[in-house]
Amino acid sequence: MRIIIPKALLSLCLLISAGLSFAAEREAIVVAELGPQVGESVPDFELKDQFGETHTLESIMGPNGAMLLFHRSADW
Amino acid sequence: MELQDQLEELEAQGIGIAAISYDSEEVLADFAQRRGITYPLLADDDSTAITDFGILNTVAEEGIGENAGDPDVQADVAKYVSVFGANPMIVGTPYPGTFMINSQAVVTSRFFEEFYRERNTTTNVMLKLGVGLSPIAAVEGETAHLTFTAYPSNTSVTVGTRFSLALDVVPGPNMHVYAPGAEEKGYQVIGFNLDKPDIARIEPVEYPDSEIYYFEPLDEYVPVYQEPFTLLQEIVMDGEAETEEIMSNLDALTLTGTLEYQACDDAICFLPQSIPVSFTVDLELPDRQRANR
Repeated sequence: MRIIIPKALLSLCLLISAGLSFAAEREAIVVAELGPQVGESVPDFELKDQFGETHTLESIMGPNGAMLLFHRSADW
Repeated sequence: MELQDQLEELEAQGIGIAAISYDSEEVLADFAQRRGITYPLLADDDSTAITDFGILNTVAEEGIGENAGDPDVQADVAKYVSVFGANPMIVGTPYPGTFMINSQAVVTSRFFEEFYRERNTTTNVMLKLGVGLSPIAAVEGETAHLTFTAYPSNTSVTVGTRFSLALDVVPGPNMHVYAPGAEEKGYQVIGFNLDKPDIARIEPVEYPDSEIYYFEPLDEYVPVYQEPFTLLQEIVMDGEAETEEIMSNLDALTLTGTLEYQACDDAICFLPQSIPVSFTVDLELPDRQRANR
């Protein structure tokens, strides 16, 4: 017995599968492109330090700027 | 942490410091006490700031998610999460790196690596920014043409450390040495020629801006250095798991090679020189000590 698939349904199937494979494709990560770039501003923050003191960008800032280090963890 | 040793220098330069991680205040308090750290270690324990900065490590989550079996995900896990495989502990951490900002909070430079194990040391960042350091473990030399001081940015390194050999050169009176571009005219450009160690890679030398010199006897224009200058030779310790094995049996890494240069004054060009140099840095395994809880 022949199975006849209507053209419209076939193209719908193709569309779905195309959509699925698109969803599965991952965006390659380039760390150099993440976060504020040279010439861009950094966001403010409000975080507590090891002594329980709250810091913001303003409280960290020196007269000539600041060095902001992001670490994975101090614990491991 | 080596940053603590550079606090005075950074303060003298008017640069504020903060280190941000996803650790809790308690963990940071314990860590700071054990290591005598006085600069602010900021507790971003819900990763809000890390996310606001746009540098949250999303591969960490992927590595333990439904696509964990995807070879692309696994490759990214080895690069961005852990060479030992996915680990829920990494979820919430940033891609590690450093932003330098000016007083208007605008980024002036940034130091991030693609492979998570490779990190710039703070002293290396400072050298790259032209912030002076007091040379440690320096090799000093004086030849007929120049005096030089060569020193490593760090005396101890670990898996993935990106550090530098800095070379401060003071050309003698009326002397110049050659900058990149001069090789086209047949001159020896100044630089290190280091033997490649098994457990590290040697990066191309970073040169400061040179000046164009008119050499009258030959009626030619050549890029040279006549004033004191510093060049940086970066070295990156390997970060693979096998390298860690090799490193665990070693106490130190000795880098050997030569300092190559050619000097000329306004009339005479001296023969290219090759000076043997050797630097030894201690090897440390990554710190695995945990906070007491």
